[in-house]
Amino acid sequence: MATTPRRVPIKEGLLAGSLDRLSEVRLCATRCRSCGESTLGTNSNCPNCGGQKVEQVSLANEGTLYTYTVVRHRPPGNYRGPDEFEPFGIGLVEVDGVIRVMAPLKSKIEDLEIGMKVRFHSYPLRTNEAGDEVIAFAYTAGG
Amino acid sequence: MEDVYVIGRGMHPFGRFDKSSEQIGAEAARLALTDAGISWGDVQSAFMARMYLPATSGPRILRNLGGTDISIIDVEAACASGGAALRQAVLAIKAGDVELALVCGTEKMPRGFMDPSMIYSPWQVELGMSQNPAYWSMRAMRHMHEYGTTEQQIAKVAFKNHRNSVHNENAMYRKEFSIDQIMSSPLVCDPIRLLEICSPNDGAAAVVVASGKKMRQLGAHGIRIAGVCHSISRYSSDFRCPADSMSATLENVGPTRVTAERVYEAAGLGVGDIDCFEVQDTDAFCEIEIYEDLGLCPVGEGGPLIDSGEVEIGGRTPVNMSGGLISKGEPVGASHLGQVVELVDQLRGRCGARQVENARVGLAHVLGAGGNCAITILQR
Repeated sequence: MATTPRRVPIKEGLLAGSLDRLSEVRLCATRCRSCGESTLGTNSNCPNCGGQKVEQVSLANEGTLYTYTVVRHRPPGNYRGPDEFEPFGIGLVEVDGVIRVMAPLKSKIEDLEIGMKVRFHSYPLRTNEAGDEVIAFAYTAGG
Repeated sequence: MEDVYVIGRGMHPFGRFDKSSEQIGAEAARLALTDAGISWGDVQSAFMARMYLPATSGPRILRNLGGTDISIIDVEAACASGGAALRQAVLAIKAGDVELALVCGTEKMPRGFMDPSMIYSPWQVELGMSQNPAYWSMRAMRHMHEYGTTEQQIAKVAFKNHRNSVHNENAMYRKEFSIDQIMSSPLVCDPIRLLEICSPNDGAAAVVVASGKKMRQLGAHGIRIAGVCHSISRYSSDFRCPADSMSATLENVGPTRVTAERVYEAAGLGVGDIDCFEVQDTDAFCEIEIYEDLGLCPVGEGGPLIDSGEVEIGGRTPVNMSGGLISKGEPVGASHLGQVVELVDQLRGRCGARQVENARVGLAHVLGAGGNCAITILQR
């Protein structure tokens, strides 16, 4: 009987929610209880004030594109995009009015525009050495 | 406290060479010693700025000048390594620990995009968020959106710097390009194009620094180091690289502005007292932002400043007379000391066709990974 592969996040602590239901997955952030600043992922301290009283929060799905660029050449090192390189967007996505997340953009590059509404999206990127599905994220056009 | 002076300067051209880092670095150091009229045995302490070379590069490079038992240490602060190393030498002299020191920056780097594993997390590399120019470009896009800065203004910076480089024998590219050629060169990351970006390469630059007392004993005529400061970016103040998220609520002041304020205060000088500038043009847009952060113009008016012609040689505040990193390339450990060499030559009036008339005060600025920023002000 075929078994469903186990799923793991591309980085531990980056994604909140069960990876078996990708539509319910959210980005995870760490909010400082002292200064209120939020940073991406699960962190044990606050890089703003150094405080260690922090809590994990999951970010809203919708965001606004603060700025972006189009990567026109294959990135160096262990890039896991399509074998045949296609230019793609990356940008800073503002979420919940508190954080701007550096993220890949899976929209058509011609459609990218500062101020556009984008939506969080998680997807299987690859299978790792242990046979697990590695889950990554991006933002796509549309609120 | 004791003033510190640059009494000798040496440079190995920036470019790509079939030579070891030991040869390149030792050559620059030797030229600096000769220019100062001293020998290696006179040096009391040495600092080697480098980022990509392996540990203990300082002793490996400098022992080519002869055996020694002085303190030689490597200094690394990304693109600001040279400034951080110079600062250590100045502090050692001001503290009275030594009277004369050698500061050398050396680098030998592969072509193309820098090795991303040095500054990015593995997951950022997998998702392709690992090209330094992408981060610079996102700053440019936001600046264009907020202030109306244009692609043509960005191209003008590259045009100016390439044109200045024609007169610099130490630059890697010494070719003039038209605005059209620049604007039709391939996009690297929108809106930044190939002819608007600097390349990592090989090179070395060195200075001999001494206390005023030592300088007078030697009968040398030095250029005074009016200030040298180094800082890293405040929390969430700069998304140059690497960054995975930024604050949407805090507007912290960026590293160039912080370092500039610090060095102006240390030097007792303002931006209006400075005759010429060498700044970090890793990409052409970056230079526009630096005009604003150094106080050459108000925020948002960097584009009009390049249009005005005031940053050209012959203008009121010339920037990157050497051709900048866009033309010279960026051997990271050597880049700031290369700027310092240019300023020393400018203040000595030895720059020939790229000479700024009657230059008395010059400022050198670098900025890179981790928000590492260094600024040195030199005064004749």
